Amino acid sequence: MRAYKAKDDVQAKAYYTDRFYVSPQVPKQEVDTDAVFSSDLASISAKFEVKESFIQVGQMVVYINAKDIYGVLELMRDSLEYTQLSEMSAIDWLAKDNTFEIFYQMLSMNKRKRIRIKYFIDNGQAVDSVEKLFRCADWSEREMFDMFGIQANNHPFMKRILMPYDWQGHPLLKTYPLEGDEFASWYEVDKIYGKEARETIGPEIRDTARVDRYDSQRFARLGFEVPKGTNITGNEAKNEQNYQEDGGVFLVSKFDKKTSVIVDDPQR
Amino acid sequence: MAQHKVNYTQDGGLPVALTSIDKIVNWGRSNSLWAMTYGLACCGIEMMAAGASRYDFDRFGTIFRASPRQSDVMIVAGTLTKKHSEFIKRLYDQMTEPKWVISMGSCANTGGMFNTYATVQGVDRVIPVDLYLPGCAPRPETLQYGVMLLQKKIRANSANKSQKPKRLM
Amino acid sequence: MAQIKNRLTPFFENITFDREDNELVLNFGPQHPSAHGQLRLMLHLQQEQIVKAHPDVGYLHRGMEKMAENMIYNEFMPTTDRMDYIASSSNNYGFALAVEKLIGLEVPRRAKVIRMMLLEINRLMSHLFWLATTALDIGAMTVFLFAFREREYLMDIIEGYCGARLTHAAIRIGGVPLDIQDGFIHQLRSFLNKLPQNIKDYEDLLDTNRIWLMRMEEVGTISKDMALSWGCSGPMLRASGFKWDIRKEEPYELYDEVEFNVPWSDKGDNFARYRIYMQEMRESAKILYQTIEMYERCVKEGQTDLMAHSPKYISAPKLDIMTQNYSLMQHFVLVTQGMRPPVGEVYVATESPKGELGFYINSQGGPYPYRLKLRAPSFWHTGILTDLIPGHYIPDVVSIIGTTNIVFGEVDR
Repeated sequence: MRAYKAKDDVQAKAYYTDRFYVSPQVPKQEVDTDAVFSSDLASISAKFEVKESFIQVGQMVVYINAKDIYGVLELMRDSLEYTQLSEMSAIDWLAKDNTFEIFYQMLSMNKRKRIRIKYFIDNGQAVDSVEKLFRCADWSEREMFDMFGIQANNHPFMKRILMPYDWQGHPLLKTYPLEGDEFASWYEVDKIYGKEARETIGPEIRDTARVDRYDSQRFARLGFEVPKGTNITGNEAKNEQNYQEDGGVFLVSKFDKKTSVIVDDPQR
Repeated sequence: MAQHKVNYTQDGGLPVALTSIDKIVNWGRSNSLWAMTYGLACCGIEMMAAGASRYDFDRFGTIFRASPRQSDVMIVAGTLTKKHSEFIKRLYDQMTEPKWVISMGSCANTGGMFNTYATVQGVDRVIPVDLYLPGCAPRPETLQYGVMLLQKKIRANSANKSQKPKRLM
Repeated sequence: MAQIKNRLTPFFENITFDREDNELVLNFGPQHPSAHGQLRLMLHLQQEQIVKAHPDVGYLHRGMEKMAENMIYNEFMPTTDRMDYIASSSNNYGFALAVEKLIGLEVPRRAKVIRMMLLEINRLMSHLFWLATTALDIGAMTVFLFAFREREYLMDIIEGYCGARLTHAAIRIGGVPLDIQDGFIHQLRSFLNKLPQNIKDYEDLLDTNRIWLMRMEEVGTISKDMALSWGCSGPMLRASGFKWDIRKEEPYELYDEVEFNVPWSDKGDNFARYRIYMQEMRESAKILYQTIEMYERCVKEGQTDLMAHSPKYISAPKLDIMTQNYSLMQHFVLVTQGMRPPVGEVYVATESPKGELGFYINSQGGPYPYRLKLRAPSFWHTGILTDLIPGHYIPDVVSIIGTTNIVFGEVDR
């Protein structure tokens, strides 16, 4: 019987985990251990609902509601001096509880602090675009759409950015295999030569460990090269490779090891 | 009239060299391989280094051209992604015959370490390749050696034969 | 000769070239010699002037974030090399630092010094490469040949250390794999002694060159607001009037122990960026001199550790693996199963030669990262072209792309 494989997460899995292994946690501190963060959090929570907040590895993490994101970032930019959006993207939790986690990494250059704003959305729910506040979100949200299929409301140009426009599937979803699906594996052949060329060109060879010394179509043995398509018996004569014919070529002098100098120190 | 005895077979007898059309055409082709700048990724940097001060590609007659219409050999240096694959085909078609392709580096040969959804597993799925250079990234010396091997290949074939258009299918 | 048949239709099929408003659409790339990689720009022109620019990226997207989710942490290290392949060690370092912060490791001092040396050598390599290519795009062939000459010296030094010219993988999680080789210090010092004269040579060729000034001054001006809004970092941000260098403001490694200045300018144009790159090379040289002294002090004090001691996450030194049974078992488990960092998440920013290189790692306690986001500075430096290019002329596009110093391995990942 074939072993059952989960379809909702096709990424690589640890092949062995000790039954009694409890993984440790990255330590979290309370927000009030840091004066700057606690005052920032106070001004955010005065206007918006803050679900959870803590400090992890020197940065404050704040969980808010999805609908508040534009307001929170506007408040942070205009009154809290968090003037740069370093990064934003999503995390796929579809296998766990059918949600995405979105994070916004903010930087304040005056305070030298970084805050991560996070919230959860359901599968299929759209986020509010913050492109009006930070122009860089224009590209980040496009990338997020490309990779996860999360739409952003009020975005000026909601199209794929990294993958081609006619691509199918969203690569960073956990349901998408690393090596691509059927569509991905034939993409370039279908697009350039058409579907009827699939048989001629053949499927992709993705087995990185595959080496066949008797295959002269795809492999060459250094020093024992044969023309493409020859049947290899294993008794081929050694073929000394040199880059020039023995007799030399008209007007091109042949490189000779005896008359040449070996440079020991390239920085001479 | 003075009688001159000319020994045609000796050097300096006459400013004439006897050769075949094949050889002279191939000699010209092999020693002025104009390469197209097709730097896609990391290998492109090594390709530039091969053209720059220390490795100096010009002494092989290999000069980088920006236009496919002026170049003889396409050095595919770097990862070819699925999004880019149609452009490599188009640029290859734009090159004039005779043309050759050097696939430089593991990514161009087989997809290399990028065994992912977005990478074409070898440029030979899209265009025909004459020479595969191993390495990630290959050193400029490897590229020079590859170009010399390609020159040898050009000289080994008859000049007329290589006029046949090369195509994958 | 007959055209070889394929399915490709001309790409401009759906674009109306000749429009009533006298606008011309020009396609630039994705394979253009001065696009520094695979950038595609759709430029809308009114006469010679650009009214709208639409950068299209993704032609080098190789799925690195997806790869990271399917690899153990150490396995991913060589992949980071291929991000910003002009300064590979800075990517290695960014990733290593992020994982170290996640598991809370402290790296031995000698390894830190060697890391700083590698980072600054990489910064010099990157800036020299930037100068070479930008100068070449603008037409200064001599500077290209000069700068590549110096870059080759640096590559020799790096090659002596890790064996690779371009893709180093020279930094490990928890330290560095090797001590620097014999002659490293001597080679580095002789290079650094020559460097000021070399930089002066470039500046003599460029600084008062009329063509260079015309292509650089008052071209591609990024205002303060624009730099903030587009998430600019590194020299792009410093050229626009912010004195923000992560090495100085949020020091990592031993950057708080070395003396260096942060060059900045409030002009925001191409020329300001060029000046900043040149000045940063001098500062890097200054840091390298100090790291040499620090290294020699480490040797004198007899600090020999190169990797952090943490049996749960880091393999023991090779000598122990070869001689002691328990170290061998631990090494075997770490290689086959991979280290399992604690549950949590971390975002670590480092100052790569291009700008703020950040790694966001979300770990769920497994040997594979659950989510790894690469914050590459070039991505937004490409995005800013949307707003930066309109209003300029076609030749300016090349110099603007040049001074943004974008690398497409990093933009597309």
